[in-house]
Amino acid sequence: MKSIKYYAFPSSVKEAMSLLLDRKYKAMALAGGTLVAKTLPDSVETYLDLKNVPIKGIKLAGGNLVIGAGATFDEIDRSKLCRSWAGGVISSAAAKCSSQLVRNMATIGGNIARPHSFNIFPVLLLGLDAKVRFACKTGTKLVDFQDLYSSGAGLRPGLDCLITEVIIPAKTRKWGCEFIKLAKTESSWESYIKLFFAVEKKGKFFAQARIAVGALSPRPFRAPAAEKALAAGETPEACAAALAAELAAARAGDYRCAAAANLLKRFVKSV
Amino acid sequence: MKTNSIIEAKKGFFEIALKVNGERRELSVRNGEFLLDALRRHGWKGVKKGCDTGDCGSCTVILNGKPVLGCLVPAVAAHGGELTTIEGLGSVRSPHPLQEAFVEAGAVQCGFCIPGMILSSKHLLDNNPSPTEAEIRKALDGNLCRCTGYVQQVEAVKNAAKKMKRTSN
Repeated sequence: MKSIKYYAFPSSVKEAMSLLLDRKYKAMALAGGTLVAKTLPDSVETYLDLKNVPIKGIKLAGGNLVIGAGATFDEIDRSKLCRSWAGGVISSAAAKCSSQLVRNMATIGGNIARPHSFNIFPVLLLGLDAKVRFACKTGTKLVDFQDLYSSGAGLRPGLDCLITEVIIPAKTRKWGCEFIKLAKTESSWESYIKLFFAVEKKGKFFAQARIAVGALSPRPFRAPAAEKALAAGETPEACAAALAAELAAARAGDYRCAAAANLLKRFVKSV
Repeated sequence: MKTNSIIEAKKGFFEIALKVNGERRELSVRNGEFLLDALRRHGWKGVKKGCDTGDCGSCTVILNGKPVLGCLVPAVAAHGGELTTIEGLGSVRSPHPLQEAFVEAGAVQCGFCIPGMILSSKHLLDNNPSPTEAEIRKALDGNLCRCTGYVQQVEAVKNAAKKMKRTSN
C-alpha cells in the first residue's frame, strides 16, 4: 500500500465532503477497499474511510428501491427487499461477486465509482435504468447511471464527490430478469462475459426489454438491436441472432457471441 | 470504541488502539501497511500470508463482527475496532469446538488455510447455528485449500454445528 499521511473516519456525509474538498488533505474515499486499497493513486495523501458514514441502508422511497452506497454485496444478497425486486436479480447478482470474504467488504458504491470490466453492478444498473445520487460541492446531484458511465457527468466519485445512493426505479419491480456471469469458477472475479436480460411482460408481449453486456470493456453497453427485436416480439432465434451480431461488432469473439445468443434464447423461452 | 475523526502518521507510523481477541491493545502500524502484515509483525502469526491479493482467504480475520481479508484492509482502518484472530479462539489444551471438529474429521493437511477457514466457519455458526451444506460452502468460498477437496472441512463444520448445539442445549 502506498504510504499515506492521514487516515480519516468521518461520521457524516457533510464531514466527509468537507475533508474531501479540503486541498490540504488530498483525500480519496475508501468504502470496502477491495479495489482501491491496492491501487491508490500517487497524488493521494489521505484515506477517507466511509465505514462510519450513514449511507448503508436499503429502503423503499417513493416506490423506488434505494440502496445506500455503503451497502455491502453481502447485505444486498441478504436483503429481503432486494430479493423481492425484479425476481431477486439484484441479490443473485451480488451473490455472484467473487468470494464471501470480498462480499463482506465490497460495497455497491465502490463497485460503480470507477469503471472496471469485471465489476458486477454496472451491468445490472445499466439494464435497470438506475440513477445515482451524489453529494458534491454544490449540494446533491442525481445522475442517470447511463450518463455517469458514458460522459462521467463531470464527476470524479471518491475524489471530488461521494456516491450516497443508488436508485432503482419503481417500474422495474416486476420485470422478469436474469443476470449471468460466465467465468472460470463461480468465485472468479474475472469473467468472460456478463449478461443482463430484462423484460416487462404485457400479456403475451414484452412492453420493454433491456440487454446489457459487461466484461468486454471497462464500461458495459446495451444491445439496442436485440432489445428492439425482443420488444417487437420476434422469435428467440431472431433476437439471439441480433445479439450475436452486436457482440461480433464489439469484437467479442466467436465463443462469447455464441454463448450470449444461446443464453438469450434460453431466457426468452423461460419468460 | 470511540475514534478520533482524523489520525496523522508520525515518522511513518500511525498509533492505533483496538481490541484484539478481547484485549485492549495499542499498536504502531506503518503508514503503508495492511492489517495482515501489521498483525504478523506484532506476533499474531496465525494470520497467514498467502496470495496477498484478496484471492486465497488465508489472512482472514474477524473485524467488527465480519470475516474480512487482512491483506486488503489498511492496518490503520482497524483503529477503534474489535478484531478476532485464530489465537483468540482456542488453544492446544482447550480447543474451540470447530478446531476439535476439524482435527476429528481429518480436515487439516498442510494447515495453511485452516485459520482462515475456521474463522469464516465461526462467523457462519455464530449467525446460523444449523447451516445447510450449500450455506457452509458459500461461507467458505473465499478460503482456498490446495490440499483437499473441501469435503472433510464441510463435514467438520457440520459436526461442529451439532456439537455446539448440544453444548448450548
